[in-house]
Amino acid sequence: MRRLETRWGILMALPAILGFVIFTIGPMVASAFFSLTDWTIGASPNFIGLDNYATMVQDELFWKSLSTTTYYTLGAVPLVLIVSFAVAMLLNQKVRGLAVWRTIFYLPTLVPAIANVVLWIWIFNPDFGLLNSLLRQGGLPGSQWIYAESTAVPSMIIMSTWGFGNTMVIFLAGLQGVPRHLYEAVSIDGGGAWRRFWHVTLPMMTPTIFYNLVVGVVGTFQVFNQAYVMTEGGPNHATLFYVYYLFRKAFTESEMGYASALAWTLFMIIMVVTFLMFRNARRWVYYEMAGAR
Amino acid sequence: MRRRDLLKLGGLAALGTAAAACGGGSGSGSGGKNVQLQFMYWGSTFEKAAVERMLKQYEQKHAGVTVKPLYTPDEYDVKLNTLVASNRLPDAGYVPLAMSYRLGQQGKLVNLFPYLKKYPQLAGYLPDAYLWSGQDNLHGVATANEIELLWYSKSAVAAAGVTPPADAASAWTWDQLVENAYKLTIDQNGKHPDESGFDPKQIKQFGISSSITYGAAWYGFLRSNGVDFADETGKKCLLDTPEAIQVFQNLQDLIYKHRVAPGPGQLAATGDDVPGTNILLKTKRVAMVVDGHWSLLDMNESKVDYGIGVLPKYKEPFTSSQVAGASAVFAGSKHEQEAVELFAFHNDPRYVDLFAKGLWMPQEKKYYEDQAAIDSWTKNELHPPEFRTAVVDYARDHGVPAFGNRVKNMSTISSDVLTPALQELETGKRPAAEILKAVAPKISSMLQGWQHTQEL
Amino acid sequence: MTALATPDQTAARGVAPTQGLRKPRRYGRILLYVALVAGSIPTLLPFVWLVRSALMQDAQMFVSPPQWIPSPFQWSNFSESLTTQPFARYFLNTVVIAVISVLGTVLTCAVAAFSFSRLRWRGRNIVFALLLSGVMLPYAVTLIPTFVMWQELDLIDTIAPLTVPSWFAGAGGGVFNIFLLRQFFLTIPFELDEAAYIDGASPWRVFWTIIMPLSKPAIIVVTIFTFIGTWNDFLGPLLYLQNEENYTLSLGLASFQSMYITQWGYLMAASAAIIAPIIALFFFMQRYFIEGVTLTGIKN
Repeated sequence: MRRLETRWGILMALPAILGFVIFTIGPMVASAFFSLTDWTIGASPNFIGLDNYATMVQDELFWKSLSTTTYYTLGAVPLVLIVSFAVAMLLNQKVRGLAVWRTIFYLPTLVPAIANVVLWIWIFNPDFGLLNSLLRQGGLPGSQWIYAESTAVPSMIIMSTWGFGNTMVIFLAGLQGVPRHLYEAVSIDGGGAWRRFWHVTLPMMTPTIFYNLVVGVVGTFQVFNQAYVMTEGGPNHATLFYVYYLFRKAFTESEMGYASALAWTLFMIIMVVTFLMFRNARRWVYYEMAGAR
Repeated sequence: MRRRDLLKLGGLAALGTAAAACGGGSGSGSGGKNVQLQFMYWGSTFEKAAVERMLKQYEQKHAGVTVKPLYTPDEYDVKLNTLVASNRLPDAGYVPLAMSYRLGQQGKLVNLFPYLKKYPQLAGYLPDAYLWSGQDNLHGVATANEIELLWYSKSAVAAAGVTPPADAASAWTWDQLVENAYKLTIDQNGKHPDESGFDPKQIKQFGISSSITYGAAWYGFLRSNGVDFADETGKKCLLDTPEAIQVFQNLQDLIYKHRVAPGPGQLAATGDDVPGTNILLKTKRVAMVVDGHWSLLDMNESKVDYGIGVLPKYKEPFTSSQVAGASAVFAGSKHEQEAVELFAFHNDPRYVDLFAKGLWMPQEKKYYEDQAAIDSWTKNELHPPEFRTAVVDYARDHGVPAFGNRVKNMSTISSDVLTPALQELETGKRPAAEILKAVAPKISSMLQGWQHTQEL
Repeated sequence: MTALATPDQTAARGVAPTQGLRKPRRYGRILLYVALVAGSIPTLLPFVWLVRSALMQDAQMFVSPPQWIPSPFQWSNFSESLTTQPFARYFLNTVVIAVISVLGTVLTCAVAAFSFSRLRWRGRNIVFALLLSGVMLPYAVTLIPTFVMWQELDLIDTIAPLTVPSWFAGAGGGVFNIFLLRQFFLTIPFELDEAAYIDGASPWRVFWTIIMPLSKPAIIVVTIFTFIGTWNDFLGPLLYLQNEENYTLSLGLASFQSMYITQWGYLMAASAAIIAPIIALFFFMQRYFIEGVTLTGIKN
């Protein structure tokens, strides 16, 4: 039985393992190699050592894109977490027409990226867009939204918050997994809604929050579509997101070698950030069932 | 390359992706030979239909040759790059201008220089149409001629008693432009910007829209004020000269000082995300718009009551020309001979109706000089009476080739430095002098000289 | 290791998925609905804007201050925009890619998850941990080499680059699905397998006849996530599909933006029409969806 299990075990894990080797390890090694060359599309690559990385350190736009992306991540991730957690709390109550409510809040996630971006171009338009129209009706001054340097990234944060559905679903799942007996215990002790939230919900949800935080940071760091379709990195590089800059180098300016170096640098940055988050997690994430199965 | 530049390429607002595809295989020609070509291009659906008609005609005139159109309306540069990388280039087609120089230098485009004798019409183009990537290395031509014009709503200017000039000799000075733009700018209460109580937040009709971020729109002004983008070595940027600063300060002032022009993201005619010039004029959100000749097609299609004027001038009047994309024959074609033939055919006004329909202007000199030839593409109801002086004569005598086509490394300079600086200028936060003095040295450090040019 | 997990997890599964904590008091309930309505307004407004714009003539869209009610209702935007491009073709292409991807992802991820959760073999946990680390890898790193690989295989402009990876457990991002399914499989009592093995069943049989039928919610989750991901994918088709006949809806929409830059009504109508089927799909599947996510206990 044991040998049979091993044989079947490896066999059944094989697609995943092969996929990992072919589509993850292989490309990783290849891109590490490309990053050490001056490869331009249409020409053959020459080995240039760490030159690309040296260029990068002096590349103003590399730093600009890194700081822009960090700014965006710092804004978007917490906001999405808070909004989706709040909505998940609401949807975790007994409400009529739950299917409708859930669909409503999940709707934005279903909009194809391109349609999403096109739609928001309209919403943000200072002259005939939705947001300024509403603001002016309320007697408030409008904004230039994506058309001014100072408001471009905040605008995109607002836009990304709109698509909070996936995060919300995962929070909802987490909320429904909180054992009822814990709440009952608090109630028996005479605790109200706030204490239930503070002493049961929040601690029990920390693993879910942590999961969403990590996934959110990793994903947000790779933001691309908005810059690509909406602003082309402008105005004045205000939305020059990292992956957009990388893409531009690779596929418009054809500098594949340099783009690969940018990609590897991003990987290392994300690794470090993730590592730090995991280290920090021990302090606040509550694991109900510590230890592996 | 900026997307908007791509947009301008085909003429009608349209950009490109590429479609490459199944090399060879399907279909077969009649006659002795059996040649399959691929022609890659971008453009609006209108242009698509016209190109397909052109290809059909070509097939009829060349028995045994079939051409597969590779229509690629979106992300043309990305797709073309992937085709280069995967060695799946088509035989002939459009190439984004900036990329054409790179591909030319890499030997990915056929040198057309030896073919000029064989196809005399290729030798009769306007001199600026030729694209050289080295001595005697002609890698392509600008697909069509394009110049920038002053479009206006006839009823709007009539209501204000303004008449934009239709020939270069009587072009407005900048001050006259501003003065007239005041008359054409009206807020919700019918007040002009120089009247008390004018509400700049509720402007019903702007006097003028002239893009700051789109190079071709302001290059004519720059030249008219006696300065160029770079000096004759092509290695020193001249945007920080007093003349250039004046031009950009004037443009910025239209928005923030005079309040006769829309700000960024509002109604500038050259963003991807705003209405086209036809809509701006039709709805009279803007009375006058600086935009390319290719708008003519849209104007006619959407039945705008428009007029065409020449751009305002500083000293001698100028407008930028040849702002469109390039056409080329791709190297490695199995049928180079036929591909070059197709190339010579593809923008010949005798076979392509895009000239008469208003999207393109011809590249051959005779279409600007010989009366019968001029009539062949302008004498129809799609070309208004002032077209002769405001466009044909204007293009011939006052067109200067846009700098974007002729400065090396321009696409990187544009996306990394120039466009961001112009975007900042457009937001009005800092005066032109400050921004340009900071950016000019940066551009100079990236400049690698002018592209090669030579007499035929 | 098996016995430990079961009681706790089965208890969790006993909780009805939509069940809240308790009935809030009346003012609490009113507050709840107020909050829901207040929250759904900003969520829905962009859709209202989309539909409004889809029904307008271009000239009306550019009026300032903007108007809410189309006048006249330009219904032809829908019919015309959907016929100027072969959207039916794009729809079909997208469905083909989505279906192949979903099938591959579900099958290979489930098989792998089965191996990682219910079969014991040496090195299993290390391999699984390695796979999980792949989630951290930005797609930008693998983008270029992967592209070169497909080009070397001469499979550019086929659906292979968009579908084959899904048959390798989704490759890259697919690890998330293995993780999800594995968590779910761990909640199924192990006695079921053991009984089957005693009857002489093979692991495949156990997987196919016992585990899979019990895992519908989790499979639906993976299906929906994968389907939406494929349906909305833009970068993949942009890079790999070249011939217009092979375009997907996302690409069609993007090229539409280029071709009809001055016809925004068309663009909006096409967008609305593309979103509609997905909304319908979600509305009918959402119950299983949320149930599935819940039961897989992502938080662990």
